[in-house]
Amino acid sequence: MIFGLPLVFAAPWLLLALPALPLLWWLLRVTPPAPRVQRFPAIRLLDGLHAPERTAARTPPWLLALRMFAAGLIIVGLAGPVLDAAARLPGDGPLLLAIDDGWATAPDWTARMQAAQGALDRAERDGRTARLLTTARTETDQPPRLSQPLLAPELRTRLAALRPKPWPPDRAAAAQALAGVTAGAVTYIADGVATADDAPFGKALAAVGPVTELRPDPVIVRVARPPQAEADRLVARISLLPQPADLPLGVLAQTGDGRTLARVDTVVPAGSSAVEAAIPLPPELRNTITRLVLDGPASAAGTVLLDERWRRRPVGLLTATEGADTPLIGPLFYVRRALAPTSELREGNLDALLARAVSVIVLADVPLEGEAARKLEAWVDRGGLLLRFAGPRMAEASGNTLARDPLLPVRLLAGDRQLGGALSWSQPAALARFEGASPFAGLAVPAEVLISRQVLAEPSAQLVARTWAALADGTPLVTAGPHGAGRIVLFHVTANADWSNLPLSGLFVDMLRRLVDLSAGVAGAAEDTVLAPVESLDGFGAVAAPPPAAIGITAADLAAPVVSPRHPPGLYGPESGRRALNLGAALPELALAAPTPGAALATLGGTVRERAIGPSLLAAAVALLVLDLVLSLWLRGLLRPAAVAMLLLAAVPAHADELPALNTRLAYVVTGDTTVDGISKSGLAGLSVYVNRRTAASLGDPAAVTPGKDDLAFYPLLYWAITADAAPDAQAIAALNDYTSRGGIILIDTRGSGSGEGFAPGTDAALQRITRGLAVPPLAALNSDHVLSRSFYLLQDFPGRFTGDTVWVQRDQDRNNDSVSPVIIGGNDWAAAWAVDAQGRNPYSTIPGGTRQRTLAYRFGVNLVMYALTGNYKGDQVHVPAILERLGQ
Amino acid sequence: MKTEFARTARRAEALGARLPPLLVAAQRVAATVAQGVHGRRRVGQGDSFWQYRPFNTGDTPGRIDWRASAKTDRAYVRETEWEAAQTVYLWRDASPSMDWRSGAAMPFKKERAELMLLALAALLLRGGERVRLIGGPLRQRGGAGALEGVAETLSELPDSGGLPPDAPLPRHARVVLIGDFLSPLPGIRAAVGAMAAIPVQGHLLQVLDPAEALLPYSGRVRFQGTEAERDTVVPRVEGIRAGYAEALAAQLHGLAALCTAAGWGFGTHRTDHAPEAALLGLYATLSRP
Repeated sequence: MIFGLPLVFAAPWLLLALPALPLLWWLLRVTPPAPRVQRFPAIRLLDGLHAPERTAARTPPWLLALRMFAAGLIIVGLAGPVLDAAARLPGDGPLLLAIDDGWATAPDWTARMQAAQGALDRAERDGRTARLLTTARTETDQPPRLSQPLLAPELRTRLAALRPKPWPPDRAAAAQALAGVTAGAVTYIADGVATADDAPFGKALAAVGPVTELRPDPVIVRVARPPQAEADRLVARISLLPQPADLPLGVLAQTGDGRTLARVDTVVPAGSSAVEAAIPLPPELRNTITRLVLDGPASAAGTVLLDERWRRRPVGLLTATEGADTPLIGPLFYVRRALAPTSELREGNLDALLARAVSVIVLADVPLEGEAARKLEAWVDRGGLLLRFAGPRMAEASGNTLARDPLLPVRLLAGDRQLGGALSWSQPAALARFEGASPFAGLAVPAEVLISRQVLAEPSAQLVARTWAALADGTPLVTAGPHGAGRIVLFHVTANADWSNLPLSGLFVDMLRRLVDLSAGVAGAAEDTVLAPVESLDGFGAVAAPPPAAIGITAADLAAPVVSPRHPPGLYGPESGRRALNLGAALPELALAAPTPGAALATLGGTVRERAIGPSLLAAAVALLVLDLVLSLWLRGLLRPAAVAMLLLAAVPAHADELPALNTRLAYVVTGDTTVDGISKSGLAGLSVYVNRRTAASLGDPAAVTPGKDDLAFYPLLYWAITADAAPDAQAIAALNDYTSRGGIILIDTRGSGSGEGFAPGTDAALQRITRGLAVPPLAALNSDHVLSRSFYLLQDFPGRFTGDTVWVQRDQDRNNDSVSPVIIGGNDWAAAWAVDAQGRNPYSTIPGGTRQRTLAYRFGVNLVMYALTGNYKGDQVHVPAILERLGQ
Repeated sequence: MKTEFARTARRAEALGARLPPLLVAAQRVAATVAQGVHGRRRVGQGDSFWQYRPFNTGDTPGRIDWRASAKTDRAYVRETEWEAAQTVYLWRDASPSMDWRSGAAMPFKKERAELMLLALAALLLRGGERVRLIGGPLRQRGGAGALEGVAETLSELPDSGGLPPDAPLPRHARVVLIGDFLSPLPGIRAAVGAMAAIPVQGHLLQVLDPAEALLPYSGRVRFQGTEAERDTVVPRVEGIRAGYAEALAAQLHGLAALCTAAGWGFGTHRTDHAPEAALLGLYATLSRP
């Protein structure tokens, strides 16, 4: 400490040069500044001329002070000052550096290493050796060992090689390694998560010497537990040490190649130790997700690998009768076509189906009796989902038979109910909306689905709770009930079009898929198979080769795993049946560890890093000397105004002109949703860069505009990403109508059509709401004959982040407007495909994916810009054949 | 030997590269001035028509212009304008003090002096006069290539130390001296007096850089001479500016006085001014008989 400042010098003897500064002062005082040299032919005339007053031949005092200050800075800087140097280590003798390197240390590993380096620095300054102890077992499954006393430089290389391990620390073994050891001081960098062996380890540490325990404050430890699969969503479960304040938390769903398909943000309330975050995802996309990752510092505990259990749901179709697959009338014809694209289908009799693990078994009006019923019941009890369809046979069965059938969710009345028909007053009934508790909730009910015949459930108290779908009059149509660990679902109609046209509708496909998603996943391997480790996670949650000590694990052990160097978290088993061992599944409830008894506590982030300020002082001295040079030149009259102006020009960066009229710029409509606006902005920026690179057009940075407030006249193209709550006021609509009537083009993007369905729910409805006031001309689907598809590139389809959606443009050519369509409507989320982040990467993956799709998206953007800038210029190409023909005649 | 040849060739090449632009500039300046001057306005030997006058007794019949006389009853004699070719001797100062300029925007004093000299030569040649260079060869090419000959000779003339060399001049020739004339007055007076005694009539043109006229420097400056003078450190140039102006005025006054005494003309020219004005004055002086 010097003058109360936390400042020490590495080479204090250099400060002895400071008393030499007055000498320098004197030298500078007596040496006048050098005169400027000037050749002059008329020098003879200057002879004998004397100025009436004398100039200051000496250096001005303020310049002298500046030079003295610079010299002082150089001396002090060379003396190696270190700011914020921490207090000396207590005691003397070697330092013992104990470092937790278990799974909980990965998120703030850098801070831990800095703290360890700081302790080493202090030991080195005192000339003390140090010993290192890490508390987790090594990759080769060696227990923690204490190193020999080493000098700081040697230990530094060992520290640099340390990595956090993806398994818990073994504090019991660490305590044994400390037995009988004494040291001058102990610095313990703790992870703060309680284990069973904390007490003996703390005792052993305290026995070594005076302990300083460093731990982060607050201790933020987050563990991603295996998620819960539900019908239309994946519920991520996160447990963490209770925090004193609300903690924002993001969960990313990533595919195998690292693309992030979805992100959920939630806030963990203060004091809460567990939180759930639902990730709504369409089933096709959900099956491509291989891991859930907590946003923030990477760690093995924040990574959950998803294996086949979250994806693979084989569906068994019981083909008891011949002709089950007869086209259009067979009982399984529609079920097969609904499920085949997304599920693995198996067929056969009951024994063949049950021989292998299967998630769902579909019975289409197959009566169950005797042995077969018992086997099936046992399978449902173990967790299977049985999907039954009613039919003539079920309707014919007597009440007794039905009462005895255990595989029905509700009791059925004998006979069936006819709705409509030649001899009936009643009409075929439509479906009611799905209730919130039903797994079908959210599916749109088409009005044309009509039920003309069904079996009836016996009224009971449970009936309402077990009804998942009902007719408009309240009659249950789909009922379900738990059975053991499994579930039984009954459609009260046939699986073909005999009783209803439900199987003909798209709703049927959605309902069946949701039911399959509801079922439990199937693990591929038998209980006692040994699964070899294939890929492991390192401490930071990155995939790596398994550590040397890793050995296989049986499928039974995977159910209640213990994570250790022998069984590191990662993927196990053959390619056909990968199983994931997740750290989150193996960790017990988290608790905050008690501090080591008798230890001096310090916060990990709280210790200010030692800063060697010598280089900064030297840099400041150089800057001062440069200033001195400039001032000397000025004093000698060598500094010309032009040179100064040049210097200033070089120093001041050119200011880009932001006036919209001076530069062609794309613009997007501000929606108020910061995420969507950010995507629009970065998307248009990415497109502008692409257009500037590929074409003669020169576009500036994209602008954010609010119709009705900003003047839209400057922008050739407006990009409008529709949000579900979009509600532009009358003024904005009027401004947009004015804009389109004067030749502007609006690209309206609903961001969720085609393969992206489910990403932006409700935007189609919002589009209808918005366009009610907007002057939208009659529309037609954009095809490859339209100018837009050939204005720069020749395009067949027009993908964005998603593909496959129809793009709509004006149907009729309006000569007043240069035949340019004033609105272009689509839902391919183009901005997300164009978006480029600060690192020049594309942050949003294309779906289904591939660089080709992104290239095509950019090409569509180029065409769009060219269309907006040149109108129907390329449309003349359409007439070329006719012109050529005429010329030929 | 070989290296000397090489050096000469290099120099010739450099001069050849430099001369045509100088010649073009001189021709341009001369053309501008030529529109403002006229011939001798006197009857005499010459090519250009001056007037018809009635035949007087005493004129030889051979002088009658028959074409003009056939139109009337009287006989006419055709008279031409007097065009007496005179030899004008030119000189410019080539000392190191002339090889100086105060800034990149200014021409070198020597450059300007040569431009004036060649432009004057072009004008004189156009007027039918003969042009020689003091210190140059006695016979000078005439006709169309005369100006090029003058330019070549000019580039080969050595530095004669700030004053014209002691070369033989014919009586009643005209002399034009162009230089900065910053050397001590007695030397200049001796040179001019020697020429005036031949007798030779002449004109002195002083070419100065604006920095020499105004001394625009400030602060502490170490002045270095161009011709082996001692360095002078001036602690504060602003303080001596008035004194310098007085010294310069004294030099100019002295020059004007010695020229008047010898019956010579004297003019000054600053390199930041247009050369045409000074040239016109010079040529007008020379055109006077």
